[in-house]
Amino acid sequence: MNVVDQSSAVFRVENLSINFPAKRHSVASPLQGLNLTIHANQITTILGQSGCGKSTLLNALGGFVIGEDSGGVLYRQRYMNAPLEEIVMIFQENNLYPWLSVAGNVKFGLRFRNHEGVDVNNTVWHMLDSVGLSEAAGSFPHQLSGGMRQRTAIARALITRPKVLLLDEPFSALDISLKRRMHGLLRSLQEETGTSMVMVTHDVEEAITVGDRVLVLGGNPAQILVDADTSSNVMRDRYSTDYLRLQKQIEDVIY
Amino acid sequence: MRFLDWERSAPWVVGLSSVALLVLIWELAGLRGDIALTTVMPPPSQFLSMVIESDFRVGLGSQSATLDEALLATFGRVFTGMFLAFIAAIATGALISLSRFATWSLSPLLYVLAPIAPIAWIPTAIVVFGISNVTAVFIVFMGVYFILTIGTLAEIRRVPQEYLTISGNLGANHWQQWLYVVLPSILPGVFTLLRTNFIAAWMAVLVAEMVGLRDGLGAIIMMGRNLFNNELIMFGMLVIGISGFVVDRILAFIGNRVLWWKVK
Repeated sequence: MNVVDQSSAVFRVENLSINFPAKRHSVASPLQGLNLTIHANQITTILGQSGCGKSTLLNALGGFVIGEDSGGVLYRQRYMNAPLEEIVMIFQENNLYPWLSVAGNVKFGLRFRNHEGVDVNNTVWHMLDSVGLSEAAGSFPHQLSGGMRQRTAIARALITRPKVLLLDEPFSALDISLKRRMHGLLRSLQEETGTSMVMVTHDVEEAITVGDRVLVLGGNPAQILVDADTSSNVMRDRYSTDYLRLQKQIEDVIY
Repeated sequence: MRFLDWERSAPWVVGLSSVALLVLIWELAGLRGDIALTTVMPPPSQFLSMVIESDFRVGLGSQSATLDEALLATFGRVFTGMFLAFIAAIATGALISLSRFATWSLSPLLYVLAPIAPIAWIPTAIVVFGISNVTAVFIVFMGVYFILTIGTLAEIRRVPQEYLTISGNLGANHWQQWLYVVLPSILPGVFTLLRTNFIAAWMAVLVAEMVGLRDGLGAIIMMGRNLFNNELIMFGMLVIGISGFVVDRILAFIGNRVLWWKVK
């Protein structure tokens, strides 16, 4: 069971407004004056319809887009104005470099970091072992299944020992059985490493079964429509009353 | 299994058969001495026996050279020019993609100079470099560099944003991103462009050899023309064709085996 210190906020989103620069004038996203707190050491999942601003919010948490002057994202009490090495992002696709093997891709995570005193090869093997990819170490991305590719991406992210892992619909291209296996893997890796994770998804089941907390984003300007604690083991059972009740509540809000 | 073997060998069998058929028709036409075309285009049996008799040496007196010397001269020029153009195109692409000042200053020059055919540079090159290997290398370079640079820039624009975000996220600075992400991403595409432009480079150096230089495969054809020796002309054309084909296969092999990955 994951013990969550609710008082420790990893991110505080304060009055966040994002405008995208277009050629002649800026285009406003649905994120206008959003306020939100994301807790440390747990998995937060963010749900919402396409275009509701959830990926933009994830990019703002990663420091890839910066809010307007009136507000922004505070990471450990400091406003973010650029990506930080301790916050790593995983995308839906194009996560792996096709010219590198699985081991090479995972090792790439340490290439630009100071790793004095660290046995790099040993660390890579240990990480591959954690995600069950030891036997595929020499394979190249085009030889892997979708699940293996995403496991490699997760291994590369976790080898850097990030404080925060941001995941942008990482399992949306996988079939249902593979998806469920990846959910279990992600949860066990989170419990093992204590990394704070924020995952954006379209999938209600994924959001509830993976997340310790589910946020539903919607409306224009976007606001948090549902904020549910799903850290209880009951929420891992897709047939439990609590799970089904929350699923219905979320679906009513989204659809 | 038999089906699979046929699948593998079919391109070779069909390809070689079509070449054999062409040679056969050519030889049959050559048997009829009353066709004017056979005088201008003597069949392989005639020009090959002539070259074998002369011990693969073409030309007269002190200006004569062996076939391998001619091949070496042409290949040396083509590969040096292509290699320099490849390096320069990637370096220019890096410069333009990393510096706005370089974009503003180099882009107009690039697009103004690109449409000029390499052959048009021959008179200027002869004046500047004289009749030398440098002239031929320069012509090849000019024939490949601009197209390759424009292609390199297009390849750079195709690099998925995720690749850059991930490497930046993992701590790479701009130069490291270029070296470890952009460069490997664009290499297969730029190399394919180089292969496609090999024909242009090949033709450019042959023209340079025909117009000014005294050695190389292009010079064989020019020598044949000057000596009214149609056998020599046909032999030169055959060697040029086969050499071009072999080099294209070598480049394709490098592309498929060394730079095999695809960036989507």
